[in-house]
Amino acid sequence: MEMTSIDLDVDILVIGGGVVGCAILRELARYDASIALLEQYPDVCEGTSKANSAIVHTGFDARPGTLEARLLAEARQLWPEVIARLHIPYLQTGALMVALNEQEQATIAREIVPKAAANGITLQPLSRAEILEAAPYVNERIVGGVLVEGEGVIDPFWTTRAYCEHALLNGAQLFLGERVSAIEVGPQRLRVRTENGKTFSAALVVNAAGLWADEIARLAGDHSFRLTPRKGEFLITEEDHGVAQIILPVPSEVSKGILVTPIVFGGVLLGPTAEDVSDKRDLATTTAGQQRIREGVGRLVPAMSTVSTVRQFAGLRAVSSTGDYIIRPSTVSERLLHVAGIRSTGLSASPAIGHYVGKLVGETLGLRLRTSYRETLPEPLSEAAHEDGEVVCLCRSITRGEILAALRSTLPPQTLDGLKRRTGAMLGECQGNLCLPRLIALFQQELGRDPLSLEKHAPGSRLLVERLTHLGGVPAHSGERPKRGQ
Amino acid sequence: MRKMQMSAYTLEDMPLMEDLHEGDYDVAIVGAGLSALSLLHSGGTALGRTVVLDYQEQVGGLLRYLLPADGFGTEWELLRDFQLPSGVRLLLQTTAVGLLPANDAEPTHTLVVRRRQGTTQLRARQVVIACGGVERPREHDAIPGTRPSGVMTPVLALQLLAQGYLPGRRALVYGDSRYALATARRLAEVGLEVITAAPASGNGRSVRLCGTLQEICGFPRLTAVRLLCDQQSVEVEVDTLIYATGLLAGTHWLKGSGVALTAAGTIAVDAHYRTNIPGIYAIGTVVRPELDHEDSVRMGKEVATLLPGGVS
Repeated sequence: MEMTSIDLDVDILVIGGGVVGCAILRELARYDASIALLEQYPDVCEGTSKANSAIVHTGFDARPGTLEARLLAEARQLWPEVIARLHIPYLQTGALMVALNEQEQATIAREIVPKAAANGITLQPLSRAEILEAAPYVNERIVGGVLVEGEGVIDPFWTTRAYCEHALLNGAQLFLGERVSAIEVGPQRLRVRTENGKTFSAALVVNAAGLWADEIARLAGDHSFRLTPRKGEFLITEEDHGVAQIILPVPSEVSKGILVTPIVFGGVLLGPTAEDVSDKRDLATTTAGQQRIREGVGRLVPAMSTVSTVRQFAGLRAVSSTGDYIIRPSTVSERLLHVAGIRSTGLSASPAIGHYVGKLVGETLGLRLRTSYRETLPEPLSEAAHEDGEVVCLCRSITRGEILAALRSTLPPQTLDGLKRRTGAMLGECQGNLCLPRLIALFQQELGRDPLSLEKHAPGSRLLVERLTHLGGVPAHSGERPKRGQ
Repeated sequence: MRKMQMSAYTLEDMPLMEDLHEGDYDVAIVGAGLSALSLLHSGGTALGRTVVLDYQEQVGGLLRYLLPADGFGTEWELLRDFQLPSGVRLLLQTTAVGLLPANDAEPTHTLVVRRRQGTTQLRARQVVIACGGVERPREHDAIPGTRPSGVMTPVLALQLLAQGYLPGRRALVYGDSRYALATARRLAEVGLEVITAAPASGNGRSVRLCGTLQEICGFPRLTAVRLLCDQQSVEVEVDTLIYATGLLAGTHWLKGSGVALTAAGTIAVDAHYRTNIPGIYAIGTVVRPELDHEDSVRMGKEVATLLPGGVS
């Protein structure tokens, strides 16, 4: 093994391009050090980070005294600056927790309000009349509730990309489609090998592999924790029925429950369910799950139980064997730092996790801050500034100019889903069935991508299987397309 | 970059489509599919100064990717022999994204239109909405299961074939409309192994499997679908699902326009294809998504006789 050549030698290597890994990468980029990130998928934000409620949560209900509660509290202070500097779309909607009976009302007074106070958050009690005036769409049968003012919604994809782009702007390197297959722990350096046969060497490795962080630890010989997947199914509807706040049920012992959440770009997100599963790749939606969501949201906002849906999906969050965030060195080496068990609060806590881990790594390696550091990302183009106004995605009126801007960005999409998340194309009623061939052509034109190699999301998800050698009954005229500018 | 959806437009800063505008049009037709072509064919120059616009690069609507095909003789003849009547302007790759009906201050209807050069407005005394719809995807009917590649509607499969690519090797075509079955035949012609399936309550055309789609299986590529056939769960191994259950009326761009929709989301019209707004008509699948294409052709002919200035 000693003979293996090193493909890249860096000071710090981050494993995992989710919202946590990218937030850490961004903070590490402040230091005078060489840094790189490995992500197993062809895009960032593909694991737990991609399928969640997209809420920037205050942490009012975190268990006081935990690292999770502390970092959520710190994140509350950091978000305004992160949003401003990285130009992330955000809506401070506030959240209403509504009680459907006196028993739930008592739970709010006895448990929720004191816990929030211990976390430094004052909840504002509201009467039934006050809630129904502010949110007339809420179930009339409620008896009261509380307002959590600081809660808001954000785009998790945009956030993760922005962290990553900001790190790239400040000199970080990104390796997509690199799944880690082996880790060798040496006294001064760690070697990380990937399934593609690349070998990376680093003085310190940050394990931010989300749901897979326990397996990354095991590759290094560390069996100190275990993560199990909990599935959450969601529905998206474009019928908003006036929903403008996050509507929360009173939580039970096992779950925060099924919520009604406005989406930052429009529409409403319904869910999640909470089901412990065994397969870390099980992202299937189920009839039973969809039914549970409709029942759950129907109790909060009756109109939501029968809405039409444009899309359904499921996500997996990591449940840790310790019950709190696991942010500490591994049991085998001080040079392998775990950032694991981030549960469902990773997006909300991400600025603080990045800051905390960045500082920890900086101190461990005795790093100095860089003299030149760019604090902000350039502003995205306004709609009118795009060069080509032709509509490509009919359902969402997304133009060719907007698609081209995404394909030419600092962190261009590698997959069709990547393009979807950067532009909103393919997210409308037809789910891309009409415009997808146009998007494939633009991928080819701008990035030189052979359509046959283009994947939907994960490795192995190619859309096309081969070129037609004969055209059969297909008329030749339908393949012709006018050239641009004609 | 992604943006919030627009439901209202301000016209103050939006230029008129000057290079195309020499005063108001008599008729603006949104969409150049079969119903629009039929209207133009029947109405001809008698419609007056007319403009037709369509999102696509060519006329003929979604059916263009299928034609010519067995059993679609009428539609193919209309398309093949179509000639734009003189004086009619055809604007392709030009998409209507909003409609502002006439009012006291502005006696003509205004269409907000996007094309390569930017967003502009276009005015007409009468508007015929003939924009059809988009194909109903699996997500619209919330079919449970995984989200792999290989799940698509006919228009995607047919476009990929037209670009010279095979979308899969073994496909299940779910649906028994004329269009679904013609798509199945086309896929078989280019070498795919094709299984047709539809619910037993379908229109009675012959399919190989009678059953209701229950689940989509496999990841990252589709490996199978599960159907409920005669109370038995049947797993069919395929790498491609062509979900061909019909259309959704393309009305999202009319949000905020005041054009009345039905509960089903289609444009509400009377027996003469008039919407609730005087001077605005609607024909084709945007009115009735379940229509067969031959009905679209008939509606186009009929509305040609009803438009003021039209032929009788």
